[in-house]
Amino acid sequence: MFRRPNLYTSYEAETQVLPSFTKKAIAVFAIVALFLMPFDVPIISGPTEVPVLRSIPLIGDGLPFFRFLGDASWLRYMSDAMIIVIAALGLNILTGMAGQVSLGHAFFLGVGAYTGAFLGGHATDKVYGHGLPMWIWLPGAGVGAALVGIIVSPVAVRLRGLYLAIVTLGFVFLGIHMGNTDWGRKFAGDPSLGRSFPEMDLRVWKEETPLVSISKKGSWFGVEMSSNQKEFLFVAAVMLVFIFFAVNIKRTRTGRALQAIRDRDIAAEVMGVAEFKYKLIAFATSSFFAGVAGALYASHIGKLPAAQFNLILSIEFIAILLIGGAGTVAGTVMGSFFVILLPELVKDFSEWLSERAEGEGILASLSEVILSGNQGDFGPISTATQTPNYPLNVFDLNLVLYGVLIIVFLIFEPLGLYGIWVKVRNYWKRWPFSY
Amino acid sequence: MKKVTKGFAPLAVLALVATGCGGGDSSGDTCDEDDLICDYGVTDDTIRIGLNADLSGPFAGLVTQIVEAQTVYFEMVNEMGGVAGRDVELVVLDNAYDVPTHLANYEEFSLESEEGVVFFTQSTGSPHTAATVEALAEDNLLAVPLTWYSGWADPDLGGNIVEINANYCVEAMNGVEYLAGAFAAETIAIVSLPGEYGEDGASGAHLAAEALGLEVVYDGQGAIAGGDTTPVITELVAAQPDIVWITSTPTQLAEILGGSAAQGLQAQWSGNSPSYSYLLLNTAVAPALDAFYTQSTYTALWGANDSEGMQLIISEMQKRRPDAPYSDNYIRGFLEAMTAHQILLAAVDAGDITRAGIVEAFQTAEIDFKGLAPNQNWTGEPNDFIIRDTYLYDVDSSTFTPEATVMDADGGSGSVLIEGPYSGSLAQGYVWDGPCFVAG
Repeated sequence: MFRRPNLYTSYEAETQVLPSFTKKAIAVFAIVALFLMPFDVPIISGPTEVPVLRSIPLIGDGLPFFRFLGDASWLRYMSDAMIIVIAALGLNILTGMAGQVSLGHAFFLGVGAYTGAFLGGHATDKVYGHGLPMWIWLPGAGVGAALVGIIVSPVAVRLRGLYLAIVTLGFVFLGIHMGNTDWGRKFAGDPSLGRSFPEMDLRVWKEETPLVSISKKGSWFGVEMSSNQKEFLFVAAVMLVFIFFAVNIKRTRTGRALQAIRDRDIAAEVMGVAEFKYKLIAFATSSFFAGVAGALYASHIGKLPAAQFNLILSIEFIAILLIGGAGTVAGTVMGSFFVILLPELVKDFSEWLSERAEGEGILASLSEVILSGNQGDFGPISTATQTPNYPLNVFDLNLVLYGVLIIVFLIFEPLGLYGIWVKVRNYWKRWPFSY
Repeated sequence: MKKVTKGFAPLAVLALVATGCGGGDSSGDTCDEDDLICDYGVTDDTIRIGLNADLSGPFAGLVTQIVEAQTVYFEMVNEMGGVAGRDVELVVLDNAYDVPTHLANYEEFSLESEEGVVFFTQSTGSPHTAATVEALAEDNLLAVPLTWYSGWADPDLGGNIVEINANYCVEAMNGVEYLAGAFAAETIAIVSLPGEYGEDGASGAHLAAEALGLEVVYDGQGAIAGGDTTPVITELVAAQPDIVWITSTPTQLAEILGGSAAQGLQAQWSGNSPSYSYLLLNTAVAPALDAFYTQSTYTALWGANDSEGMQLIISEMQKRRPDAPYSDNYIRGFLEAMTAHQILLAAVDAGDITRAGIVEAFQTAEIDFKGLAPNQNWTGEPNDFIIRDTYLYDVDSSTFTPEATVMDADGGSGSVLIEGPYSGSLAQGYVWDGPCFVAG
């Protein structure tokens, strides 16, 4: 169990998904924690009932940074984040692993969403839909997006760097425009109201009552659950499958070929890596991930206009890769949660601060300094909703943080959150001789 | 590789077993002090009302003022004893004009406990509200949207949507009929944004043009797509219509009207209410608006009449927010608050302020806006209850005072009432048999 770290006696051992005991333990812990999250668990989801813990100032009424997990809305944000993880892993294969910068990821999410809606959605006199079960529309969404990826890739494969970024950027605008044409509306519905997407229910075929209902509240294994909790568990399971898939790609011949192309494409070709073929594979796989994520995203929201799959969403994915750490699965996962949950963390942290400010003690006076509730205050964060624009309200602050973080990470930590994690890990590995 | 997969199976089982614990929920039967039946969002001393409002997105300026007016209204109500002896508490969450955030907020509002709410007096955004339509019906919650789409009257789409005032389609009919009469027009151009807002307004204008025998010299329904308005301006100038009906944002109105006027187009314009903002009179396009634009609205504007409702809002705003800048948006906030208040009172009369009870009260309620807007109910068929009255204002930039506050009872918006409530023959004879515009 306790071996010498970093000593591998075989290639197989070195390329294991979870090579060390610590990594295995962390993975088990993370997965258990993930599946426990939708349920009432002390500390994480709010004030604890345990008397010993209650007396500890911060933990007693929930950790300030994680206390939002107790709110009803956090499950939705978590599900959103997990769906974004799937899509970001796709982009990681294309951009992080194969080095092809794409700004068109939102387009492939959109293709997936509308393929899913075409296959699984219900037809009205205005929109198409075939009402097929989820085991068809969910993979179908991925396949549809992958096909579109393959169709457009001959153009994209011939380009690299900035030129590829511009071409893929074009996809996003093309997609939104197509959604607005007469035939596009047959798929996408009203340009501002959107159309209804299929629900996440397990059916054998088109029967009335689903085999397992995920989108309606009800009991699972004797536990009463809301649709929100059910969707969380389902999305978490799908995410794990895709994480496993993404980790494995890196260990295969394809993964090594993609990395060779990223590091020096001409050298890779000289060594016999078929550049065209592997770039095509990267595009198709990346689009497949995006397609499945897009269909899940649309289904999770329920109704969405085509304009939601816009450039901002694409840029969010680039930010996820940059902040998380391009090229690594763990970094992509961390980045996704970070980018999606950051606005909520900031919001909840300032709410927590404003609650503290009403109390007494050091925390209260600290909070007083940071916050400004009235017009006379000078704190940098404003909690007053009635004085927009000055000082920064919580939401402006989010936008500022977002930009600052991208810059800070690019300059100081190009490996992203993953890089920070590696540094922390190495520090403790060598402790007490870490210098 | 195979070694690893083996490890995952027992793990998943463990996770499923672990989920077996926890997950209890509390029911919220909290009305034991009086005879009222109630379930969620109500305690012995408060009734919670939700606002899923855009406080930081593109409509923040408009929506913060609506929220402010609602706050003032309920401050007044609470001072006079509240509703059924309870204070009305407004719970405001920011949706940042983002659909996922709107839905996450919705989870919190719809909690089936004291923490939930009984009513949404603001649900900003059409796609956002549309995404919650099914959940609203399931949870028995009513929502006031910030849109005037003719489709909300459809019970299939908006059974729980409380649409206040006339819709875009009817508004366009009234506007076109008025313009055609006042300026003896023979030709018309119609330009709009794509989607539910723009094309619903454009559809109404088309119906009116057909009924009045106007020739449509440029049909720009859905043409204002993307950021560039130049093609629309070019087409308009080439077509030389007598009148133009536009359904856009204020910025686009300024660009298109200003651009066309600069190129010599002498047409008379009007457009759906959200197309215009009096703040445009602060810009270089003011003279063109003064000369060519007729403002259409759903409600009376600040100080435009002497009704009981107008006196109430002016005196309350002056008393409680004397420093607030002048704005017509307060009227909208008051209308939303009055609707919620009167529906709640009706529910209290019926002895049932559960969510279901409030929905029932809504279906028979008669809302009295005290002269701020045409009174309204949602009883029976859409054809019986859709509002056919709008208001028309002349733009007079000489009366515009940018720094006016609520202390100026006459307002300083540069809008001078021509006629209102105005209801043309087309709007009166219009038979609602579905939304004017449906995409597809």
